[in-house]
Amino acid sequence: MASAAFTSVQPAVPAHSQLGAGNPDALEFDRKGRLNRIRRRLVSEGLIRTALLFLLWLSLSYALGPELAPYRLRIAALIFLFVALPGLLYKRRHFAEARRSVAEMWAFGQYKFSEISNMLASRKSLHGEIGESKPYIDVLHGQIGDSIAESEREVIQVIEQIGLLIEQSNLQREHIGRSIQSGKALTESTHARVESNKEIIAAIEMQMEEQTSELRTNFERIQGLANEVGALTPLIKVITSIAQQTSLLALNAEIEAAQAGKAGRGFAVVAFEVRKLAVLATQAAADIGNKINATCKRVDSEMDAAKASIEIHEASKTMGHLVSELGQMQQEFSANSELLLEVIGEVDANYQESVNRLSQALGHIQFQDVMRQRMEHVQAALLEMREHLLLLSAKADDTAWDGSFERTFRNILAGHFEKYRMASQTVTHLNVAGGDSSANHSRPAIELF
Amino acid sequence: MAMTILVVDDSATMLLSLKTNLAMNGFQVETAGHGQAALDKLNSGLKPNLILTDINMPVMGGMELIGKVRALPGMRFVPILTLTTESEAAKRDEGKRLGATGWLVKPVSGDDLVRVIRKVLPGA
Repeated sequence: MASAAFTSVQPAVPAHSQLGAGNPDALEFDRKGRLNRIRRRLVSEGLIRTALLFLLWLSLSYALGPELAPYRLRIAALIFLFVALPGLLYKRRHFAEARRSVAEMWAFGQYKFSEISNMLASRKSLHGEIGESKPYIDVLHGQIGDSIAESEREVIQVIEQIGLLIEQSNLQREHIGRSIQSGKALTESTHARVESNKEIIAAIEMQMEEQTSELRTNFERIQGLANEVGALTPLIKVITSIAQQTSLLALNAEIEAAQAGKAGRGFAVVAFEVRKLAVLATQAAADIGNKINATCKRVDSEMDAAKASIEIHEASKTMGHLVSELGQMQQEFSANSELLLEVIGEVDANYQESVNRLSQALGHIQFQDVMRQRMEHVQAALLEMREHLLLLSAKADDTAWDGSFERTFRNILAGHFEKYRMASQTVTHLNVAGGDSSANHSRPAIELF
Repeated sequence: MAMTILVVDDSATMLLSLKTNLAMNGFQVETAGHGQAALDKLNSGLKPNLILTDINMPVMGGMELIGKVRALPGMRFVPILTLTTESEAAKRDEGKRLGATGWLVKPVSGDDLVRVIRKVLPGA
């Protein structure tokens, strides 16, 4: 069993264990030397014992005197038989036992040697491997540290973005507030203006109706006058006819006067003058007729203009329509203003809701600080583990180390439990390491004294 | 006029998030990275209506700050709230003994924080 174990671990024995007193060849040599030394010691002890027996025999022979001389050989034989021979046989057996013991010790020593060699080699390996844990833990520590810093940077970015969002919302809210004020002022101003315009328009409408009525009266008067002027035209024809007949009569009178000779000379002058007057009367009648025609035309033109003016004034009735439209517009504007105010009110309520939600979101961002503190604790624990491992590594390389520890992982872990600040850290610890994590001795998260 | 809150925390994210949240809710906010910086601000004339402080900080922690603030003239009755990850009852009792007004364990939602502040600051 022992040799089998030895055989199985033999290839693992490193070269450095072949040096000095631990060399198996040297041990073999020592084993043979030890056996030779035992053999030599046994032979020397036998020779000394034999010499002492011989001296005892000689002493007895001389002490007993010459009477016992014939029995000297017999006494010597008896001493050899009963004292020296058992001693020799015993020594021989003792030597064989010693030889077996040495052989067993050799086998055991060889097994133990390989075991110790392996242990030393393992400790060397452990020393090297544990020493390698330092960069490993340092990298983990650095990774955690960088992750914390990165998350902090990102969270700050998020908060800054939220801050910008809030600033923009505040600006919009201010704009909306100003819009509300402007909208109210505009509504009130428009309402006042519309009321004022209504009165002005009503006054204008009344005035225009009066003017229209006056224009219509004037128009009727002018029309009557035009009719009267038009009625003069037949009289002109009568005058012209009379003047023409008078002219013919004067011509006839002139002819008659000429036929009367000297007596009719005076009458001829009168007839001539009468005919001249008739011609002048005809011309005057024609002039009057022309002027009456021209006047009639102008009167017609003025009548048309007056008619158009009346129509325009009559069109002023649309002013009333405009007033009613203006009123409708005002009502619509008021309704729209109320709707706008309602919408603005909703926007304002939504803004407050957004503020509450952003406030909650900013509260949740505290997780980063909680996580940072937990990670910093883990970082500290990693450094503690690194120091402990380096200490173990040094001890593993120390052949004088007795195997005792100043601190153990159990102690260190117990130390962590005392350092926890958060209930969540304690719960995790108990969940993993064992313990009653359901017991909740903590007080509420918010406590006013 | 907006009420002033002095926020003391060694975490940049906490300072920024608290400042943003409180400013959004109508408070004026002053910040300090540790207890000593907060004490310097108070000694240079800052008169906050409330102090909101962390407990575990470098240079000067929250517990020491509470004790020193209470010793300053005119600061005896200014509310001091702690906002910390410390949930141990013993720490809370110590904070109460030193003169803290309330103990809030992180994380506290933004609206809860504002509600507590308005409770200890009537008229805010």
